[in-house]
Amino acid sequence: MTTHADHCEVCPVNKNSKLVRMGIDVTSFDHLVALAGNPNVGKSTVFNSLTGLKQHTGNWPGKTVVRAEGAFAYGGKRFKVVDLPGTYSLLSTSNDEEVARDFLLFGSPDVTVVIVDATRLERNMNLVLQVLEITDRAVICLNLVDEAKRHGITVDARSLMRETGVPVVPTVARTGEGMPELLGRIDEVASGEFVCKPRRVWTESKRLKKAVDAVAEQLKKEFPSLPNVRWVALRLFEGDQKIIDAIRSGELTDLAESVRTNGAAKNEKTVHHVTT
Amino acid sequence: MAQRKTRKRYIMSRHEEIFKTVESLRWNLGDRLHDDAVEAIYAEAARISARSVTVAGEAKRPTFDQTLDRLVTNRWMGIPMMVLILAIVFWITIEGANIPSAFLASILLDAFHPALKQFGDNVLMPWWLSGLLFDGIYLAMAWVVSVMLPPMAIFFPLFTLAEDFGYLPRVAFNLDSLFRKAGAHGKQALTMAMGYGCNAAAIISTRIIDSPRERLIAILTNNFAICNGRWPTQILIATIFVGSLAPAAFSGLVSSLTVVAVVMIGVLTTFVVSWGLSKTILKGEASFFSLELPPYRPPRIWQTIYTSVIDRTLIVLWRAVVWAVPAGAVIWLVSNIHVGQESLAEHAVRFLDPVGLAVGLNGVILLAYIIAIPANEIVIPTVLMLTVLVARMAGVGVGAGVMFELDSELATAQVLKAGGWTLLTGINLMLFSLLHNPCSTTLYTIYKETGSAKWTTLSAMIPLALAFLVCFAVTAGWKIFG
Amino acid sequence: MNVSWEIIVLILALIAVMVLVPRSDFLARWRGSHRDEPRILREDALKHIHHCEYSGVPCTLDSLAGALGLDRNRTANLLDELVGRKLIAYNGMQLSLTESGRNYALSVVRVHRLWERYLADETAVEELRWHEEAEKQEHRLSAEDAESLSRRLGHPLYDPHGDPIPSQGGVVPEPKGKPLQAFGQGEVVRIVHVEDEPASVYAQLVEAGLFPGTTIKIAGSGPEKIIVVKEGKSIGLTMNLSANLTAVRVPPAQFKKEQRTLASLDLGVSGVVSRISPACRGLQRRRLMDLGIVPGTVIEAEMKAVGGDPTAYLIRGAIVALRRDQARLVYLEEERATS
Repeated sequence: MTTHADHCEVCPVNKNSKLVRMGIDVTSFDHLVALAGNPNVGKSTVFNSLTGLKQHTGNWPGKTVVRAEGAFAYGGKRFKVVDLPGTYSLLSTSNDEEVARDFLLFGSPDVTVVIVDATRLERNMNLVLQVLEITDRAVICLNLVDEAKRHGITVDARSLMRETGVPVVPTVARTGEGMPELLGRIDEVASGEFVCKPRRVWTESKRLKKAVDAVAEQLKKEFPSLPNVRWVALRLFEGDQKIIDAIRSGELTDLAESVRTNGAAKNEKTVHHVTT
Repeated sequence: MAQRKTRKRYIMSRHEEIFKTVESLRWNLGDRLHDDAVEAIYAEAARISARSVTVAGEAKRPTFDQTLDRLVTNRWMGIPMMVLILAIVFWITIEGANIPSAFLASILLDAFHPALKQFGDNVLMPWWLSGLLFDGIYLAMAWVVSVMLPPMAIFFPLFTLAEDFGYLPRVAFNLDSLFRKAGAHGKQALTMAMGYGCNAAAIISTRIIDSPRERLIAILTNNFAICNGRWPTQILIATIFVGSLAPAAFSGLVSSLTVVAVVMIGVLTTFVVSWGLSKTILKGEASFFSLELPPYRPPRIWQTIYTSVIDRTLIVLWRAVVWAVPAGAVIWLVSNIHVGQESLAEHAVRFLDPVGLAVGLNGVILLAYIIAIPANEIVIPTVLMLTVLVARMAGVGVGAGVMFELDSELATAQVLKAGGWTLLTGINLMLFSLLHNPCSTTLYTIYKETGSAKWTTLSAMIPLALAFLVCFAVTAGWKIFG
Repeated sequence: MNVSWEIIVLILALIAVMVLVPRSDFLARWRGSHRDEPRILREDALKHIHHCEYSGVPCTLDSLAGALGLDRNRTANLLDELVGRKLIAYNGMQLSLTESGRNYALSVVRVHRLWERYLADETAVEELRWHEEAEKQEHRLSAEDAESLSRRLGHPLYDPHGDPIPSQGGVVPEPKGKPLQAFGQGEVVRIVHVEDEPASVYAQLVEAGLFPGTTIKIAGSGPEKIIVVKEGKSIGLTMNLSANLTAVRVPPAQFKKEQRTLASLDLGVSGVVSRISPACRGLQRRRLMDLGIVPGTVIEAEMKAVGGDPTAYLIRGAIVALRRDQARLVYLEEERATS
């Protein structure tokens, strides 16, 4: 804490005495936090703001192709943060999307923070809804509200919260505005203090209900620890080989364990940026 | 044990049970499941955002963005503006790099290298070890660093600033119709521009092209953008062999025009080869065009400089330095290991001479391009060293296997002309330098990015074959008409 | 100077040219002429008989000889061999597959259809060449190859012509739909299958823009010709064309008279997406949908590039550039009061 004393004065986030940025020290942690979001919404800025690292950002989709990890402590608890590749969707077959999807499904993060661009909410909602199909525990970080205001756009955070069923925190990650609230929400959801009721359009769709029910029931019996069997069932209907393999080998739970500890999904590396 | 086995089999059969259920249900659900999912989620996204977002007045898109976009895509203003901005970027790079380059060279080459040699003598190091370590390996590394680092450290941040501001996607947008005709993607304009800085870094930057076919085209043709290791070669040769033909007052202008002509030939080659590739070997690769134009955002200057130096410059420089080590060793060894009366280098040059002369070059140039494959920066020093070595000139250079450059162009011209160079050699060297295979750093990067030996081989063979073919044709034409 | 070196250089250049043009037509034809290897003939025969059984038409020695392009004698020999291998059985004059024969046939069909799906989804190989390429691959790929291809493609259910792909266990659903002739005037139908043989007929159907998934309205039905309406255009189909189309009836509301595409949108004007053309498949389709181009999306044309193409569109708050030939694949709903 003392080593960062100089930074703390210029950096608004660190005015919050509860936060200790721990850089790449991810040796042990109490809660796992995943950062998801479209490209170009300030995801890396949020990541850097939380961990004190300096990850590259780009005003251009598809630039961050590797996954970064970092850590922070808040309210006496240690959080490991995993920055997932920026994607528009989780349903396609691109490598980035697969990495992000696998982590959300098998890595079972305690909280997934979905960072959305307040100026382009409609486009960003696509990813939010897809994330909510997979996980129960999420926080929406409504970033770039200052830019939105400049463009005459106001997003009603309370309405958004009502519609999605998860906490919504307006932020300006660049200046640190709203970050203390975000930390508070992350903590509440991670510890189970706040229970999300995520909105699900697809896994709860009426047309598919019967089919999904039938398979989900079988899956539930086999894999009681799986966070979202309905989503797995739908992936099976879509012929997702990764999930078929995981079930066939009976390793669905093992796989979850390995993604969680090693962060090792296929074809990707973890970068550790050196802090100065 | 037996019990466990039975249990496992039991579990497996239960899993197969799940798949059976899935398979039987799948046929009823049909194959539009994916489309349905995407449509349902987007519809919901639209509904939710319509409820939560209020837009004040009419302002849909900030007028600043709109005005700027009008200007940038204006029929008359768009292209001149782009040329101007790119010209400024290149000018700053070339002008700005001179000072730190000279500074680095004075430290690494002029001060540190003799000091290392002195150190070798002081500790009674055998001559061959000090030669191999300091004249070979160290010198190659130092050369690459001093020539490569400054332009890259200037060019990449400038380029990244333009990118982060949002201007570069607009350039791709404007130039797409041109590239489309060549079967390529508009973003290739950016990877090409990047290639004028460094081909290896440009190969990494092709990641912005998300369509498989167009990305391969950009990778396979990037070589025709002359990187900063080749600019000095072009300028030097143009000055010595072409500029000198013109009256003194115009020689500078003529040299510059010659270099511009070479760049233009490179651009033309890029289009022709891109078109050819898209019609032949890459015809069957999947293709898709999409280009997002992000909103303009004020670039964060310090962060950009930091990250572009770390992410681009240092990574590429490190790869180049790693490759320079074996190259330096080989350059020194071939010049100092003797078989019979002559060094390996002399044998090789004599062996390569007929091929070299057939394409209007010579054995020295070919050998230099073979052993200096890690970086184009050290081609000219190697050429000079080999010329002196082979012609056994006295009083020039520092010794066998020690690369050097001469301070004045006149002196360089004298050495080269003594080595049998003519105007034809000069023209062919410029063309060969433009077209020949990428350096090993770039090839390694291509292998890393494509993960395919086939594409890596092709990206070396196509330019190489083209370089030989063009030089051969020029030489043949020269002999017939000249 | 040594002339032999010049020759070497020329040879190098020639090699480069050969690398650039890897598959010349000459080579392809040469390969094609070697088709009468015994295994390939056996597999083609089984496939033909399976096709007859699946579509419920009788299969005889003559029909088989016609399909394989062999004379009766050789066909009879071939059939004897297949009977000897217990792959088929005679049922009077009719041929039928045994259990193992059916499995064999299905595994060949599986490879064929998977390969077509692969070509449609993951490559830019022209539509008219799919069948021909798959005809070659079906005899080359093993069952394991087919399985790994299927995994990669996400276990697709149908090939791009609308034929079901047999599962690994050999399960194929009952054929869906009826031939186009079976529908009456005024009915709205969706094409579910387009037969890809003979190639000349298929080429005409592709030319007319009739793909699986296309919704059409039967405007007139006569003994020689069926007239259908697709996207506001009337298309006359002779019997040999319409016989190769299978369709199912859909609610009339699904028929839309749309003629406008995104490409026709003027700058500053917005339109509502009605759907992406069924001609747009694979990567193209997936990526367009990822951009948020789905039915109901409001899109505004924002600006044109210096050359007039591509055009940038405002799609769900993001500015995305699309080329004209892509924009033509996105249909818009008929003009409403909004503009």
